[in-house]
Amino acid sequence: MTNLDHGKFTRMTTVFHSLLAMDVFFLFFTGYAIMFNDELWWMLTLMGGSGSVAALHRVFGVGLLALVTFWVLMMVTTDTGRSNFREVLPTPDDAKAFVQDIQFVLGNAEERHPNARQFAGGTADEIPLLSYVGKGVIFIFAVELTLLSISGLLIWSKTGLMQYFATQTAAMAFVVFHGLLGVVMLMGIMFHIFEHGFHPAFFPVETKAFIPRSMIPESHDDDDEGTGIERLQLSSGWASATNLAGAATVIGIVSVLTASIYDTGYPVSLELLVGGGATNLLLTVGVNIGMLVLFFGMVLSVYGNLVRIRWEQQMAEGEGAEAEAEAAD
Amino acid sequence: MSNSTAENGASSYSGTMIAVNAVIAVAVALGAVWVVNGFNVFYERLDRVSPTVDGGGIGTAFAQGNDIGWLVFMVEAIHAIDVLTGLFILVLVFVHWSAFRRLASRMRQPGEARAMPDGGDTDGENGGDSR
Repeated sequence: MTNLDHGKFTRMTTVFHSLLAMDVFFLFFTGYAIMFNDELWWMLTLMGGSGSVAALHRVFGVGLLALVTFWVLMMVTTDTGRSNFREVLPTPDDAKAFVQDIQFVLGNAEERHPNARQFAGGTADEIPLLSYVGKGVIFIFAVELTLLSISGLLIWSKTGLMQYFATQTAAMAFVVFHGLLGVVMLMGIMFHIFEHGFHPAFFPVETKAFIPRSMIPESHDDDDEGTGIERLQLSSGWASATNLAGAATVIGIVSVLTASIYDTGYPVSLELLVGGGATNLLLTVGVNIGMLVLFFGMVLSVYGNLVRIRWEQQMAEGEGAEAEAEAAD
Repeated sequence: MSNSTAENGASSYSGTMIAVNAVIAVAVALGAVWVVNGFNVFYERLDRVSPTVDGGGIGTAFAQGNDIGWLVFMVEAIHAIDVLTGLFILVLVFVHWSAFRRLASRMRQPGEARAMPDGGDTDGENGGDSR
C-alpha cells in the first residue's frame, strides 16, 4: 500500500472534513441544478423540481451553518485550535513554494518546495501542517462560507427581502450574487479533487484527510535522503486515469466559468430558475462533466473513509495478535 | 461498393459502407441539433418591452430592472472575481498535473523490479523487504 504517508490531522478534523465535504457536495448539486438549469435541467427534475430542490438546498444550508459555527467555536475555544491559527497564516515561503512549483514543472528545480510537497516521506520534519494550496483552501473557504451563509440567510425568504429592497429584481440579484459566489468554490473543489486524488504516490486518494494522525505510525528509517518517492511503485492505471480526470477537471472548470458569465438573473422568473444565456450543446456537455467531477469527488470521499475503516480493523487485529502473543509468554 | 455477387443472387451491402454511412448519419444528426441550437435567441432580448425604441426599451439590461447601484456593482464584481480566480485555479490544475507527471516518472514503473536502496543487498536489513 503506497498511500499511507505521515499523518497530519486530528480525528476531529478528519471527521469534520468528511461531513463538510458531503454537505457542500449536496449544496452544489441542489444549488447548481437551479443556477445552471439551462445545462442541468435533468438534475432538477431528478430531485423533484425547483420547489423540492430549493427545500433540499435549505436543509443542507442549515447543516452548513451548524458546521461553520462548530468549526469557528473549535478554533476559538480550544488550545489546539488557537495554536493552529499560526499554521494557517500565509508566509513568504508559500509564495516561494508556488514559484518553485512552476520551476519544478519547467525542469528548473529538482524538488517541490516543502510548503508545496504533498508526499512527505523521509522529509516529514520539513513539511508544514498546510501546503500553500491548503492555506489557500482555508482562506477561500473562510471568506466564501461567511459570505455564502450571510447571502443565503438573506435570500431565505424572498418576500422578506423585498420588504427591504422593494423590487423582485433586487431580491433576484441577491440570489444571483449567492450563486456566482459559489462558483469560485465550485471550481476550487474540482481542483481539490484532482490535487488529492491523482498525486502519483497517493492515487486514488490521499488518505491523510481521512485517517487521523493518531492512527498512523510515525517511526521510519531516517537513512534516506529526500522523500523516497522513487521506492514506491506507480499504479498501472495512474497515467490514463489522471489524463482522463485532468481533462474532465479542466473542461468542468472552463464550462462552469463560461456558464456563470451568462447568468445574471434577468428576466426574473416566476419559478426560482436563474438562467439566461448562450446555452449550447458544448456548454451543456461541459457543465455536466463538471458535475461528474464533483460526483467523483464524493465517491472518493466515501472511499477514503472505507480505507480508514479497513485500516482501523487491520490495526485492531494487529493489536489483538500482539496481546495474544504477550499472553502466551 | 455494394457487393452485388452475394449468395443466392440478391445484392447486399458492404460492411465498410454501413460503417461510413452510420458515422455520417450520426454526424448529420448531431450537426443539425448543433445548428438549431445556434438559432436560440438570448431571451433577455425577447423579453424586452418595446425593443425598437431608443436605448433598447424597458429592461434592456439587468441593471435596468435592478436600480440599486451597489447591488449591481456586487453582481458585476463577483462575475469578475469568478473569471480571475477561475483562470488562477486553471493554472494550479496545470501546474499540479505537470508536477504529478514529473513525480510519477521518478517512481518505479508498474511491474519494474524493486530497486535495492543500498545496491542489491538482500540480507533483509531494510525492514526485511527482500523477496
